[in-house]
Amino acid sequence: MVEIVIDEDACVGCGSCVEDCPNDVYEMDEAKNKTKVVKVEDCMACLSCHEICPAQAMEHQDIHVAKRLYIDRSVKDAINRII
Amino acid sequence: MNGEIEEIRGTFKPELIPAATGGNIDDYEKALHTLMKFVGSMSSALEQVSGRGANAIVYQAGKRMGHEASKLMEKTDDLEKAMGELSEVLGQEFYFEMWKPSSQDNYTVERGDETEVKLLFMDCVVRQTLRRTGLPQKGPLCYLLYGYIVGAVEEVMDIRGKLDIDHIGPNACLKTLTIKWSGK
Ligand code: SF4
Ligand code: SF4
Repeated sequence: MVEIVIDEDACVGCGSCVEDCPNDVYEMDEAKNKTKVVKVEDCMACLSCHEICPAQAMEHQDIHVAKRLYIDRSVKDAINRII
Repeated sequence: MNGEIEEIRGTFKPELIPAATGGNIDDYEKALHTLMKFVGSMSSALEQVSGRGANAIVYQAGKRMGHEASKLMEKTDDLEKAMGELSEVLGQEFYFEMWKPSSQDNYTVERGDETEVKLLFMDCVVRQTLRRTGLPQKGPLCYLLYGYIVGAVEEVMDIRGKLDIDHIGPNACLKTLTIKWSGK
């Protein structure tokens, strides 16, 4: 079963995840001005919310993580050498 | 020759079916990335030249591929069985499952002479290729896959089918497959 953990310290309350999630998994907690998970059972782990969140404030646990075949190891190695 | 490239030298005899593929995992990885780049740029060029018409062209090509790939599959009227066969045709690289929102009791929804089922694609080589080449999803390459799925289902179930994209994400994409029973 999917579990979503929100890092409330990181969340800037922009509401992008609320708007972007196709299954209305999130709602804004107006009092705190933070997102909150209200329908985790409808999360299909598309991770669109991760792509849009400017604060990387969420973590999805126990999901199918798609094989990342697109990572070019030679490019990654070159970047690691620079950083 | 370039010192970094390891040349393979040996004797080659004509053979009907080679016993094994050559190379190691790094060779496969490099080949995969080269192919991804080629296919990605072909897809974006197609879109630039033909505009949105590109989607329709590759959809038809995909459909033909789907029909061909499923010719030897067992025919069935049972949608769940057909999804199992589709999964065999698509293989691990297009790993999908049927999906439903929590408010819905069954995976299938009947609407007159149509049945709908939502498919959640988790692993997808097309998505990987697009991300590799920095291209947006829902372009011609995605339509090739949609056509392929529809062609395979039409072949296995002997019906008319259609696929709509509900949502595209970096980790999974949701599609609705509609089966038209009167199209038999
Ligand atoms: S992973 Fe997708 S379905 Fe799940 S919360 Fe994020 S946007 Fe919504
Ligand atoms: S997108 Fe990120 S920062 Fe914005 S409300 Fe959602 S969790 Fe908070």
